[in-house]
Amino acid sequence: MLDFLQAVSDGVLFGTTYALIGIGFTLVFGVMHKLNLAYAATSIGGAYAGLLIFQVWAGAPAWAVFFCAFLGGGVLGWVVYVTCFHFIPLSNPLAPLMATVGMLLLIDEVIVHATAGMPQNYPAMFDDVMLRAGEFTLRGDLLLVGGVSVLCMIVLLALLYRTRLGLATRAVSQQPVAAQLCGIRVGQVNAMTFVITGLLGGIAGALIGASVGALSPLLTAPLTVKGLIVTVIGGLGSIPGAILAGLLVGGFENLFQLYRGVTERDLYVMLLLFAFLVFRPGGLLGPKGGHD
Amino acid sequence: MDFYYGLAQTVGVHTLLGLSAYIVLLTGQVTLAQAGFFAIGAYTAGMLTVLAGWHLVPAIGAGALTGAATACAVGFPALRVKGLMLVVATLAFGEGVRLFFFNFDYQVAKGEIKVGPVGGEGFRQIRFFQENGWTTGEVMLFIWAFVILVMAALWWFDRSRYGAVLRAVGEDEVAAQSVGVNLTAVKVSAMTVGGAVAGIGGALYAHYTTHIEHANFNVLLATFAIAYPIVGGLSNVFGTLAAVIFVQAFLIEGLRDLGDWRNLLFGALIVLAMNLRPQGLFGGRRA
Repeated sequence: MLDFLQAVSDGVLFGTTYALIGIGFTLVFGVMHKLNLAYAATSIGGAYAGLLIFQVWAGAPAWAVFFCAFLGGGVLGWVVYVTCFHFIPLSNPLAPLMATVGMLLLIDEVIVHATAGMPQNYPAMFDDVMLRAGEFTLRGDLLLVGGVSVLCMIVLLALLYRTRLGLATRAVSQQPVAAQLCGIRVGQVNAMTFVITGLLGGIAGALIGASVGALSPLLTAPLTVKGLIVTVIGGLGSIPGAILAGLLVGGFENLFQLYRGVTERDLYVMLLLFAFLVFRPGGLLGPKGGHD
Repeated sequence: MDFYYGLAQTVGVHTLLGLSAYIVLLTGQVTLAQAGFFAIGAYTAGMLTVLAGWHLVPAIGAGALTGAATACAVGFPALRVKGLMLVVATLAFGEGVRLFFFNFDYQVAKGEIKVGPVGGEGFRQIRFFQENGWTTGEVMLFIWAFVILVMAALWWFDRSRYGAVLRAVGEDEVAAQSVGVNLTAVKVSAMTVGGAVAGIGGALYAHYTTHIEHANFNVLLATFAIAYPIVGGLSNVFGTLAAVIFVQAFLIEGLRDLGDWRNLLFGALIVLAMNLRPQGLFGGRRA
């Protein structure tokens, strides 16, 4: 019972990072009805960019690294928008998808080149703090990860529902032509969406690096797959859905690892996705029949 | 000369992989599962020639059949999801197949040694070509015989009513339904044919590389599978062939001289290709 609770709590706290990645995918899909397969790479790339601060400030504290990752992610998000979505006409749905795959490969390779393929240590905050209740422990750094993720989600939801930019974004996602007729510049809104998701992604990457302890370009592929699974389980286009699904996938993943070991864990996560696709294709909080 | 035969073998097998994705893409379904069917064909054919002592040609047939059967089974639930959710579902399926083979152990003792797939280590000693004295050139011709057969079959499909129905479903499902096209039959049949072609490709792949493991059939291979028809254009099968030659021969081998920069240029060139010619090399209206 204790193992079960421990696994679930660790998993749910780590799952908040999956939720952030899922939010990034789902936001781009909701606004542009396209998938940005380079998103996890943007996230990890932003995290690496955070490490660049050590070049200018040798003893930088962890929060400075996180902030630098935040900014790096935003820049990378904008770059992905310009190279993959800005110039390709909307009538070709497959071309941007392929272009994002190209960017995924490019970002991965730039990281490998810059770091000579060696995993880089990532600073963590509160990693020596352990809250205990008998035999049950809550890692302090995971609590921070959870806390920062929740904060980011609140800020994002406030941005979307309480600001003019958020209003414009929602307008473009619902009716792009009508939004243009109202004077909203669709290109700018799309670019801002990518920048915002990039900022989120940078934080997510930094948090993942902090909780794992090291960053490696090999993280990109599994993170892309898990992020997409979270997005679909939550319902494409639904941010609260992505949040819930992230926590769900994080918790279940740790449970599967506890009961069946690490080699079979991902297989069961896939089966979880298929169960959702068969019984509830719209995801947790999407429309019942599913999106197009 | 052996190097060029080897390159031609790779181009041939990747063309089969690309063609398997091509036929499904014609119906408008973006599928990242082709690497999974490729893996199933590879392991099935490998196990039949190594563990059961079959000749290669029936083993390839069995690989195609298992690929087709799995694709048919995947095709039905795939109908419940559309568009980009299908991308994720097929990606998850492909990863699921890879993870299945990661955990799959089936060894049989032959003489003193044990042969067969061993989970993470993979499946070694698929030595049908070596044991029967085939030269590299003969293997290349054998592979290309299958490629030409499949290309001819798909070219013929394209020219027939079936091809027109596939493209109609790809362009506009509602319009196709309104003229009486059975969407389920068309989409599932396209998936099945794609699975069969991928199975053939996988069977050939297993035999010319002699050692397969789960990591060969990862997400990257699945994205290569759809990259070939997208970069080549969906107007005809030669587009896929041109894209395979472009990627394998030009980008991967030709840029080898650039050493480390090769991998950087690969991603960058794909992004550039999609921006400059989004409809693909051979894309656009058919003549």
